[in-house]
Amino acid sequence: MANDWLQLFPEKVRALLQTLPSPLLGMVEEIRVRENRPLEINYSGRYHFLSGDGSLTQIPEEAYKPDREDTHRLLDLISNHSLYTMEEELRKGFITIPGGHRIGLAGRTVLSGGGVEHLRDITSFNVRIARAVPGIADGVLPYLLDKGRQRIMHTLILSPPQHGKTTLLRDLARQISTGVQSKREGVRPGLKVGIVDERSEIAGSRRGIPAFDVGPRTDILDGCPKAEGMMMMIRSLSPDVLIADEIGRPEDAEAVTEALHAGISVVASAHGKEVSELARRPGLGGLLEHQMFERYVILHRSEAGLSFRILDSQKRGLLLVSAEERIGGDLHA
Amino acid sequence: MLKLFGAVLIVLAGTLAGFQRARQYADRPQHIRGLIAALQRLETEIMYGFTPLPEAMRRIGLQSREPLKWFFVKAAEEMSPPHDRSAQDAFQRVMEAHWKTTAMKGTEKEILRQLSCTLGTSDRTNQSTHIALALQQLKQEETMAREDQGKYEKMSKSLGLLLGALIVILIF
Repeated sequence: MANDWLQLFPEKVRALLQTLPSPLLGMVEEIRVRENRPLEINYSGRYHFLSGDGSLTQIPEEAYKPDREDTHRLLDLISNHSLYTMEEELRKGFITIPGGHRIGLAGRTVLSGGGVEHLRDITSFNVRIARAVPGIADGVLPYLLDKGRQRIMHTLILSPPQHGKTTLLRDLARQISTGVQSKREGVRPGLKVGIVDERSEIAGSRRGIPAFDVGPRTDILDGCPKAEGMMMMIRSLSPDVLIADEIGRPEDAEAVTEALHAGISVVASAHGKEVSELARRPGLGGLLEHQMFERYVILHRSEAGLSFRILDSQKRGLLLVSAEERIGGDLHA
Repeated sequence: MLKLFGAVLIVLAGTLAGFQRARQYADRPQHIRGLIAALQRLETEIMYGFTPLPEAMRRIGLQSREPLKWFFVKAAEEMSPPHDRSAQDAFQRVMEAHWKTTAMKGTEKEILRQLSCTLGTSDRTNQSTHIALALQQLKQEETMAREDQGKYEKMSKSLGLLLGALIVILIF
């Protein structure tokens, strides 16, 4: 369903958002609600304030300012009137709602034993709209197949936040799982795919059923910590390809290593700009050093569109596709 | 003959009124007991099931007997799309509209109203504390309601009959 995320907002804010022209509404990536401060939206990488009559502006004074009632209502709606089901999420600082949309939160933290125990007086919300972009992996996938086109190579996708890692992973899962059965493009069998979806972002599961098309041979372990989930997947579901989002901790690296030794292809993503940066990170450095990954995909998104680079295990460049060559092809969901 | 028929009618009406009143005395502790059981179930759903409120209320409603069944199912409906009201609003609305179908009184309503203000707005331990408080208050009310039942239930019945008889005597 398009724009089902609108239901999330309290009436006043929803009415404002609905005054936006629908093509623009279809492109909105982030909506930032801050109590008593201007309402902000982001599309195609640019930020705008939203004024009381629904027009876009750059001047903060003209913008609509959500009040306390708006933020309370928003929190009530995103928690399904049940904040107590979100304790773990509040500790981490974000909530993923059905549909895969992620809401980052900020407020006052309550500490216990030096760790964050709870978040209260929540006044900042960053609603990130998840959208499936079928076909975004078209350019990448051929480089991840090995010679016989039967196996997916171990791949690490790298990019800063908001550049489309999760969207790419989602489409890769779909295409790997579906396979190709056409005469023109040749036959590539679909593979069993296991997604460890710690933040429920890749598949956007609702009661265990994916909201996005992630392919017919895909199993999803929803809301499960990555390291544990990967081990569970290996033991119980015998996937051919294991997909995980945003690996980074040492235990994640350990689980990836385990999967690689078990003969399972791993496609994972991580925050970062360059492969060389990764080497310095305690969790992932080891994986790099032992050349565990056979392919690196580095994403970069600008206003012109998405571009990506593909490197092999020796960090030699294989391909560079820039935004200009792909203009107009990518971001029309 | 007509007089006798009238007299019987009056006595019958008096008796029925008495029985009606007696039933309210008998129903009130039962309804409170039902509410206590429902809130205990709600606590379990929150503490161990992590069930979101609308779903929890629906389940509790289906397990309870009338008129509480209706109360919870209706509240769950109010909290689900397309209304999507907060727990406080949903309870308020349902209570305003249908409190009269139960034998419970204003005190119980007030306890439930206070609970609804915090329901779903805090973490589990906090929820548990508030529910425990409401339970304690309800149990007190239940004891009092039982005492009232012991005192007034039979009395209402006989009083109705006697009142009917008194009117008949006065008229003749």
